[in-house]
Order: sequence, then structure tokens, then C-alpha cells
Amino acid sequence: MSPKLRRVLQLFARLPGVGEKTAHRYVLHLLTTDPSVAEELGRAVSELHHVFQPCSVCNNLAEVGETPILCDICKDHKRDPSVLCVVAKVSDLLALERPGTLRGRYFVLGGLLSPLEGVGPEALPVPRLVERVRQGGVREVIIATPPSVDGEATALFLRRELGDLGVSITRIASGIPHGGDLEFIDPVTLGRALDGRKVI
Amino acid sequence: MESLLVLALSIRNFRNLAQADFRPSPRFNVFSGDNGQGKTNVLEALYAVLSSKSFRTSKVADLMPHTEPGGVAEVVSVRAKVREGDMTREQRFAVDQGTRSVRIDDKRPRSLLAYATASPVVVFHPGELSLSTGPSAERRKLLDRVALFVAPTGISELEAYTRAQRSRQKTLEARGIDATDVDHWETLVIQHGLALMEARAAAAERIVSRALVAFESIFTTPLGCEISYVPGAPREAEAFRAELRKNRALDLRRGTARIGPHRDDLALSLKGAAARTSASQGQHRALVLALKAAEIAVIGEARGARPVLLLDDVSSELDRARTEALFSFLRATEGQVFLTTTRPELIATEGAERADFQLRQGVISPLS
Repeated sequence: MSPKLRRVLQLFARLPGVGEKTAHRYVLHLLTTDPSVAEELGRAVSELHHVFQPCSVCNNLAEVGETPILCDICKDHKRDPSVLCVVAKVSDLLALERPGTLRGRYFVLGGLLSPLEGVGPEALPVPRLVERVRQGGVREVIIATPPSVDGEATALFLRRELGDLGVSITRIASGIPHGGDLEFIDPVTLGRALDGRKVI
Repeated sequence: MESLLVLALSIRNFRNLAQADFRPSPRFNVFSGDNGQGKTNVLEALYAVLSSKSFRTSKVADLMPHTEPGGVAEVVSVRAKVREGDMTREQRFAVDQGTRSVRIDDKRPRSLLAYATASPVVVFHPGELSLSTGPSAERRKLLDRVALFVAPTGISELEAYTRAQRSRQKTLEARGIDATDVDHWETLVIQHGLALMEARAAAAERIVSRALVAFESIFTTPLGCEISYVPGAPREAEAFRAELRKNRALDLRRGTARIGPHRDDLALSLKGAAARTSASQGQHRALVLALKAAEIAVIGEARGARPVLLLDDVSSELDRARTEALFSFLRATEGQVFLTTTRPELIATEGAERADFQLRQGVISPLS
């Protein structure tokens, strides 16, 4: 195989969820269809980092335009500024946006506390989060880190850091998925669902 | 109680077993052959397809056959047709390009835990004599195997506990003993650790009562045998927290946490003295037999189906009296047994249904 072709295959195979076979399919497809498809894709990909940068307020993806750089959510005046939802990564924010029920604002940490991967508290933008809450206007901080060991440790850490600021701090629930049949739920999830039960 | 039965087994490229298909007997299956022919590999393949794991290695790559440099790695696969009561299912264990996969009736199980408890299996191999003579790790594994059936929720916290404990250690190293985030990791160590100790205590309680009965039946003279669960940390949150905090400097220096369920043990004693240092060889073997008998009984009760038993060359490590005790136990316990030996004539199955197989260079052939 030509080294150039191999290089392209390797680049595709670096993407999450793309293995060697899929990389082959993509590259062969691009080589055998209208060349404009590959050219457009190439232009869009090479522009990505110039067009999008982290939002200067919440770290969500934002289109570069005026300064300061603001994402669509931070620009949206109809969003409730008193509810601030803290998430680990942008994809979690997008997932939380899907139901459309949370009309507050976000803060993206960009990671979780994970000493085993060398991520300590200093690697997270917590001072910026504290500053944002301190500026006022926030009534509730929702900690929406995942229910993993690292996610729970991060939640405990955030609770401590935000504890003295006079805002209510909540944690997302963990339990049974919608339409889930109790019979088929794993015992840990079921246990959490019982722990998190509420009066009706 | 119903026995779990392996009706048919089909092995491909599992260590030195290139291709093997056979239908085992519902009672005794004796695999004989010289050393290094693949006898233990048959048991390991059975264990893998029933439990999703190996009892010899934690690396799935070890299960691949040796390939010539530049050769194509084969797909390792074991299929078992399993009957429980009037239901028959097919379980499959495979390793392809270093990745393990398991299926029940071609469907992916909900979790590995669900797979591991679907078809209970107990293995007894020579290394397990260290249950009585060796360090606590083997005894914790015994507790965990049993807890999988008697307290699955608690034992599923082992992974989270281990991650929290390691994270605390790393945080101590990176940020010192006064860093506030050490508190958070300790909170999680305690939360998962308490759940884990509760599960192990429940497993121990069931094992102890069964093992003592078994031990007394091996030794007719009373030896004052005692078995008890020794938790590696206080089983109360505040005391646990205080101990962790007190040990921070020490743990940092030693590179490991002094307390926690990773130090749990099952203490074995005879007439008040620790068995590990005071028991005779014969007593050690009897203790191990008693613990294994308890594992078989408790898992059977908790699961509601008698487990499949795998015995790897056990009589070579037991003396004559203990071997007899083992076989009288096996004859009394119904259920399917697979065993390996270099001397099949010494396996006293006494009229029970039995199939003999010979192993030579990875090929299994029935002996009539």
C-alpha cells in the first residue's frame, strides 16, 4: 500500500469508534465518489479549530466571532441564569440539552478528578467556577458528573469548594431508565434507585 | 437440588487444544495423560465458558495458542451446551484479537456478573493448598467467589473500592496528607469498603458453618477448628474514617493503605492457634478440603443449582486419607465432576457413571 494512503487510513482510525475496517470504507468511499465531497470535508475539518473555541464563560463549544467568545447558551437571554449545571465534558452538556427541560446555564469542567490518570484538582477550572458563582445571580448548582468513582469524587470536591457560597447544591439522581423493566435492572442501579426514592 | 450439566463441549484454539468436541458424562469425567498434554487446559476451557474467566491467568492473551512469528492469531472459542432443570442453553466464550466476548444463546449478557452466575462452577486445583498455608489473597478470592452468589450487590463494589483506594494513595503522594481531596477519596473508600465488607461477612458466615461440619467429618477427633471473618477495617463509618485519617502519613511512606477490605482475611485456627503456622500438613489439607466443600455447598444453595466441579490433579497433592475423604464427599454430592490425573486407576468412582478420556498433545480421545 502507498505510504500516503496508509497515513490517511491511520488518521481515520484514530477517531473514536473507527477501526481499521471502517477507516478503509471511509477512505475508499471518498476516493470513489465525487472529489468535492473529500474537498469539502477536508476544508471543514481544517477550519474546525479556527471556527470553534471554548466559550469564555462556560467552556462549551462556541463559534469564534466577537470577543469575548460566547456559546449559544451563554448568549441566550431567555436562559435562566440562576440555575448552573456543572458537567464533565461537552458531550454531557449536549446530552442534557436533548430533553429540553433544563433551561439554565452550564459550566464544562473538561474532565474529572482522577489521580490514577494524573488529574488533580489543579487541572480543573474550579477557581473560574467559584468566581462565577460568587459574582451572584446563581441560586442552584446542579452537579451532573457521572455516577462513577471519579465522578462521585469530583462531586464531593465541588460540594466542598462551593459549600460556603450560599447557593443550593444538588446532585443528579441515578436509577432506573425510562421504560425500564425492574426485572432486568442490575442490582447496583436498583440499589441506587431505592436509595434515591422520594415521597409522592 | 438440580445439578447443572454440561451436555456438550466444543473447544477451538484454546492454548494447545486445536479442536476438541465431546459429550461428557453427567457424573464423572476423568481426563488422563502425561504431563504437558493439555489436561488442565480442558478444565480451564470449561471454567472459561462457564464463568467468563480463567483460574490460571488474568490475561486473556495467555489463552491463545502459540503462533509462529508473522502467523495469523486464531480466534479462541469454547462452546458449551448446558442443561439446568428442563432448560437447555448454549454458552460461548471467545477471545478475538485480544478481546474477550461471552454470549448466552447468541445474546450478549446484561453484565459479566450475570454471565458468571448463570452456570455455577467450582474449581479445585493444587495451588489452592495455599488457602490454608498461604497469604490472605487466596482466602479473599474464596470469599469473593461465594459472595458473587450470596451478596452480588455488595461484591460488585469491589472495583469501585479498589479505584477509590488507589486514587486516595495517589492523591496522598501527589498532594500530601493535608490536601482536602484526600477527604473525598476517603469518603468513597468508606462507602464502597463498607458495602464490600458486608458482602464478604455474609459470604463468610455461610462458608464457616458448612466448612466446620465438613472438617469434623474428615477428622473424627475434635480439633477445635475455628474459622472467622477478619475485616481489614472497622465496619462502622466514623471509626473507619478516623483510622484512615490517622494512617495517612504511614500509608504515604509505605506506599499502600494499612487498613481496608483489601486486607480482609478468613482466619483459620486449631485449638486457638493460627492454622497457618501451627497445623500439620494433613490438617492443612483437611482445612482446604473443608473450605472447598463449603464453597460447593454454599454456592449450590444460594444459586439453587448444584455447581459443576473441576478437579485439577488434586490427588497428587493430597495424601491417601484425604483423597479418600474427597472421593467419599464427591460420591455423596451428586453433580457433574471433571477431573484430571496422571493415574486414572486411582480415581475411585465406585460404580458411579464415568467417562474416561485420554489427552495426548492437545487431542482428546475417549477411552472405553
